[in-house]
Amino acid sequence: MIRFEKVTKNYPGPGKPALDQVTVDIDKGEFVYLVGQSGSGKSTALRIVLRELRPTSGRVYVAGKEINRMAGWKVPRLRRQVGTVFQDFRLLPNKTVTENVAFALQVIGKSRREINRVVPETLEVVGLKDKGSRMPDELSGGEQQRVAIARAFVNRPMIIIADEPTGNLDPATSVGIMNLLEDINKRGTTVVMATHDHGLVDQFRKRVVELDQGKVVRDEAAGSYGFQH
Amino acid sequence: MQLRYVFTELRSGLRRNLSMHVAVILTLFVSLTLAGCGMLLQRQADKTAEALGNELQILVNLCVVDDPNGSPTCGGGAVTDPQRKAIENALKENPEVESYEYQTQEEGFEEAQDIPQYEPYFDGPDPIITVEDWPPQYWVTLKDPKEAEGVKSAVEGLEGVSVIQDQREDLEPVFGIIDSLKYGSWIGSGLLLLASLLLVANTIRLAAMARRREIGIMRLVGASTLYIALPFLLESLVTAAIGVALTAGALAAFTRFAILDGLADVIEFVPWIGWDDYVQSLIGLVPPGILILGPALTLIPTLLLTRKYIKV
Repeated sequence: MIRFEKVTKNYPGPGKPALDQVTVDIDKGEFVYLVGQSGSGKSTALRIVLRELRPTSGRVYVAGKEINRMAGWKVPRLRRQVGTVFQDFRLLPNKTVTENVAFALQVIGKSRREINRVVPETLEVVGLKDKGSRMPDELSGGEQQRVAIARAFVNRPMIIIADEPTGNLDPATSVGIMNLLEDINKRGTTVVMATHDHGLVDQFRKRVVELDQGKVVRDEAAGSYGFQH
Repeated sequence: MQLRYVFTELRSGLRRNLSMHVAVILTLFVSLTLAGCGMLLQRQADKTAEALGNELQILVNLCVVDDPNGSPTCGGGAVTDPQRKAIENALKENPEVESYEYQTQEEGFEEAQDIPQYEPYFDGPDPIITVEDWPPQYWVTLKDPKEAEGVKSAVEGLEGVSVIQDQREDLEPVFGIIDSLKYGSWIGSGLLLLASLLLVANTIRLAAMARRREIGIMRLVGASTLYIALPFLLESLVTAAIGVALTAGALAAFTRFAILDGLADVIEFVPWIGWDDYVQSLIGLVPPGILILGPALTLIPTLLLTRKYIKV
């Protein structure tokens, strides 16, 4: 589903590459933690999957397509297959929960009928069936992250990229979000989650890919967090 | 494509940036009006030059005895036949000359007597001007009324030529005024058009800043560049449409009240611009009319800047 082949990413200026000859293969339906210290290259890797960045060298395949040479006009189509969740939720404060989730479908041209059918279904999946008319500032952090996950999942993407999705949440709420991501993963969606939360990684054992200074130093099935930060 | 979102965004965009949009519309209105006036004045100048210029001729006065102009090429005597032949040949061979006509002293003198204001000069037993004083003349019509220098220099200095009169010189002040107004309009509109370009650029920048969160999400969920840019483009089109409509009204008022009901009534010997010229100033291609200029001025910076700000 996602394949990095000897991917190197250099940012302008001196210093070590953000990614250095990274080769990783993630299959369809996998759940993968991307761990490592700050600056280890996790976010760079995720942004390359989204084609927000291009690698300096190497090849990247997402959903069967080599994306580093993909024409700019094809990028939106790629992103419709990849849902994204961030630490800071990134909800639109002037829209209700339902409108926030529906927004992701409206802007890619889905019909009103489809939106009216899929959005309530998705809100049910994330456990917010009764909160569709609430504004984001009326929700707890965990609920806001659930809205963000609903927005990422509403188009039923093949992949969900989550960049520190529990970074702003307390441990109990984080477990709830993890359960939700695990549930989505069980429905067939590949999940790649960058995290610093060793408690979660140790509790929900999944494949762990550890980056250190841009290099893959560990790739372990059902691994633990493995290092102290 | 769901256009409901686009129109909602358009409405809120126009409301959110109202003061900037008003500034763009006003600047656009004034600059386009000046540009339109420049175009109309250009057409007026061309029309005047064409209509009057064709009727205006160059007059070559030949020498008479005791030439009153004291021209050195006269040598104190009247023009001789060989000199006249040489002058006629110079006119015949000049490519700028459309036609010429020779008028003898007697013909010219007789014609002048019909002009009332010359009467005192011809009256009485000892008139001031006699037939001997009246110069024989060549009346020269030019192919292009604007190109007279070649003819003048071809005959100037020839033996037997006293003085050359260019009737067009009498109209030069009129052309001068039209030209100054025209260039003034061009310069004024050029500066203001630059101001409107910068204002449009600023408006887009502000709008993109105000909507950066939405734009960020749209990019991430895979909205196309066109879909993201559409509200911006439509905002620009709306401001352009209002600016163009105001300009069209102002130019119509100018044509109606200043030209047709104003100058055309007072000065009748000049052919004035009319509604045809007004329509040309709106839809003309060269120079581009207001209907092209207005949208281009807002859409081009919008396209360039949205590419920069909302690149996926």
